[in-house]
Amino acid sequence: MPLDPTLKGREYGEVSLEVEVAHVVRFAEAIGDANLIYRDAEAGRAAGHPGQLAPPTFATVLQIMTSARVIADQDLGLNYALVVHGEQEYEWSRPIRVGDRLSAVPRIADIRARGPNEYLVLEADVRDDAGQRVVLARTTLLSRGTAVP
Amino acid sequence: MTARVRFEDVAVGDRVPARSKTVRREEVKAYADASGDRNPLHQDDAFARSVGFPGVIAHGMFSMAHVTTTLTEWLGDPAALRRIRVQFRAVVFMGETLTASGEIVALDEAERRATLSVWAEVEREGLRVRVIKNSEAEVQLA
Repeated sequence: MPLDPTLKGREYGEVSLEVEVAHVVRFAEAIGDANLIYRDAEAGRAAGHPGQLAPPTFATVLQIMTSARVIADQDLGLNYALVVHGEQEYEWSRPIRVGDRLSAVPRIADIRARGPNEYLVLEADVRDDAGQRVVLARTTLLSRGTAVP
Repeated sequence: MTARVRFEDVAVGDRVPARSKTVRREEVKAYADASGDRNPLHQDDAFARSVGFPGVIAHGMFSMAHVTTTLTEWLGDPAALRRIRVQFRAVVFMGETLTASGEIVALDEAERRATLSVWAEVEREGLRVRVIKNSEAEVQLA
């Protein structure tokens, strides 16, 4: 069944995340990045940053939370068994840091068909508690074989 | 801090030093927990077989993270990575060796920025399979 194209532009409830030391260290270890800048604040300051950084793709934690909001929307008619993660984009305004309180409003940026597949583009504008943009995440999900022939 | 790679020292066609790692089940499990993506496709062999794979596959984002680490190690400063867009084109199985690299395709002198084509690949049955391709990154050079 095709996705409901009228849902383009729909926004969902805000998700938020406090960036904690232990979480950042676990994430850096899981991706196999040994940079000390992700391990302690001293290394971050020594490199000229205000403190301990998170790896750039720590943004994925927020992106997964925001995507889950959209995927759970019954109106959309998404069959998750047919969904493949097609594309991912991040555009950073500054690095994510330990201690950041991040929030994002998930939004459906586009729904379009190409051949037998449909493309669902989700955006999350991740901001800090001062309202400044930290990173823009754009996720393209492919819904296989659900386009109207 | 700024990148250790200076704009004057690079040219279109230059390559980022390739970085390889063997994808291990424990790491993918740790990634599932750290990222919050606990899809059984990445943790449960029986489930992965039920949807047509020979076993669990790594998260696409796990491979993307390897690409970004490859770039930030070259740049010397994570803040120098400004934008990345990747396409996931093939899956990665446990025990495979994932290699990421990139090549400078454009330079912006006014902004001292470079655009790179980036990719990640595995070797499978004697062939190189690009799991991330048609992808690009924008970096701020010193």
